Amino acid sequence: MPTIKNRKIAAAILTLLFLIFHQGISAAESLDDRVNEIAHLLMCPVCQGQSVAESNSNLAQDMRQIIRKQLEEGKSKEEVITYFVNRYGETILASPPPKGVNWLLWVLPGLAIIFGGLGIGIYLYKSQSGKGSGDSGKRPENRAADSDYMLKIDEELKRHES
Amino acid sequence: MSILNTGTKIGVLVIIFLVLALLGYALFGDRETVKTSPLVGKDAPEFTLKLFDGKRVSLSELKGKTVLLNFWASWCMPCRQEAPALEQSWLKYKDKNVVFIGINVWDETRSASSYIEKFGGGYPQGIDPEEEIQVDYGIGGVPETYFIGPSGIITDKYDGPLTEEIIDYYVNRAAGQERDASSTN
Repeated sequence: MPTIKNRKIAAAILTLLFLIFHQGISAAESLDDRVNEIAHLLMCPVCQGQSVAESNSNLAQDMRQIIRKQLEEGKSKEEVITYFVNRYGETILASPPPKGVNWLLWVLPGLAIIFGGLGIGIYLYKSQSGKGSGDSGKRPENRAADSDYMLKIDEELKRHES
Repeated sequence: MSILNTGTKIGVLVIIFLVLALLGYALFGDRETVKTSPLVGKDAPEFTLKLFDGKRVSLSELKGKTVLLNFWASWCMPCRQEAPALEQSWLKYKDKNVVFIGINVWDETRSASSYIEKFGGGYPQGIDPEEEIQVDYGIGGVPETYFIGPSGIITDKYDGPLTEEIIDYYVNRAAGQERDASSTN
């Protein structure tokens, strides 16, 4: 017949086994996550716009295997990425660093926003100041022509009403 | 009569100047990146191949020799196209301190063996049991060929099918590596 002491020992063993098993699963998941994270940062060199994580090509499979192996060997994320950059160049990076031609990709959108905003600001400022001053910016001959034209319209309207 | 006032004209000129300056820097400011492979000029990564005849060969054993490292697959049509040129060039260079090595990648052993029987290739051909060598050498497709000088430095990489003339050119460049190094040092 099981005693209370035996039950306690059994519970302790079960808890220990659960912890060991759970730890093992967590560690495996964590490595998978790290492999996946790095694979998402690298573009598959033989694919059209797919990362190493997304591609099923032979090369992408080899690369995922190497990422896993290097992480298991204790290499850091940066070291693994550097390994691939040293072999395939910076074009393998999903986010190219701001250097050389890549620099334009990082700077041009900012410049476009700044200059576009400035352009819109200047346009709005000019149109507002134009309204405030009425037709003061027009030349005298243009103003005279406008008033003649308005007089003609008024006459036509009156004639039409009568 | 001008449509734009002076301030706008200056603004447009400044923007054009900035864009041209950025383009100029981007195109000419970092010319070092224009290379066929980042490995060119560096030590060739070490490898051990399991040859189809059962032997093994390591790159370190070949120090002092010029090495042509050709990556191929049996399903690759351009590889079939270059096979006769490789065979002819190997016959020409095999007694001249030049070693040709074929590395079969992304293939099945049976298909690779029948390819070798059909297309020749008297030089050592093998596979990497770890399937890492293709990534170690930054291979993106087949055929791709590396030329390694006698001191173990990669002198060139060629993507696409080789001809005898291309092989001559790059093998001579690789063989001349040590001569160049000793003349500049």
